[in-house]
Amino acid sequence: MSETEEFIPYIVKPREDTGLYNAKFGIWLFLASEVMLFGSLFSAYILLRVGSFTWPVQSEIQNVAIGAINSVVLLSSSIFFIRAWVALKADDIAKYKRFMYLVILFAFIFLFLKGVEYYQHFSHHEYPKTSVFLAIYFLMTGLHALHIIGGILVNSYYAGPGLYLRDKPNGKQWFINRVEVAGLYWHFVDLVWIFLFSTLYLL
Amino acid sequence: MEEHSQKDEFKRDILIYFCIIALVGVIIFISHLHLGTGGIFLIIPIACLEAGILGYYFMHLMTKKRTVHLLLLLTVIVFVTLLFWPAWDVAYSPRTPSEFTTY
Repeated sequence: MSETEEFIPYIVKPREDTGLYNAKFGIWLFLASEVMLFGSLFSAYILLRVGSFTWPVQSEIQNVAIGAINSVVLLSSSIFFIRAWVALKADDIAKYKRFMYLVILFAFIFLFLKGVEYYQHFSHHEYPKTSVFLAIYFLMTGLHALHIIGGILVNSYYAGPGLYLRDKPNGKQWFINRVEVAGLYWHFVDLVWIFLFSTLYLL
Repeated sequence: MEEHSQKDEFKRDILIYFCIIALVGVIIFISHLHLGTGGIFLIIPIACLEAGILGYYFMHLMTKKRTVHLLLLLTVIVFVTLLFWPAWDVAYSPRTPSEFTTY
């Protein structure tokens, strides 16, 4: 065992000092950095809007209906993820896989609707270079969509080939922890969308 | 007993789900009222409430240790500080073209 492994062992039980197992503490640190990433973009939006002489009426440019449907879609995928994790803890792998496939399906639905929105903008000659608002809108929603794609890749791995990790020593609890950590990331992506929808579509 | 607790958790999760969707409906309704600046002070707090509910129940912040709460608090403090850092400058920036000083 290396020095590093002795100092920071890979564990499945919570540590006494943090109260969390290392992966969970790690993902919360990562999410804190993501808060800074999206937070900086939100603050840029605020400053651009406050500092500009004119600003378009966002609800007239945006398709609020698709945005609302996307909110429901992402929230539903969050619920499915929770059910998947509960099924995994109960060792019901078939149910776990079903719910994970639903999570992935709803993520693709979200991306499809986002694509439809982008197509609507482009067909009205609304590009990032058209206005400051559209520039920040495409940047923020594009970055969010990239996060969705990343989540799809991780969730697909854990719903499919990654299941072999359960067969390793200590594998079952380890895998449950990994899925929980992926779930935290997924809920965070959902949380960011709540703010994106409110600020870019409704204000 | 464990099954009963799982069913209770499932009911709670569904309730939270519909609660958040209802709040989404509320902010959409508020946006249609075209309240202008006043709308911001309604929509943003409700969005924060939605996010808080999601974080508290779905991300299990209610059961998390002090470590996570402190980490998130530190993040929020840093973010709010950085957000309002240029506020002084923005407050004194010209609002209309006529406010620009030309030499």
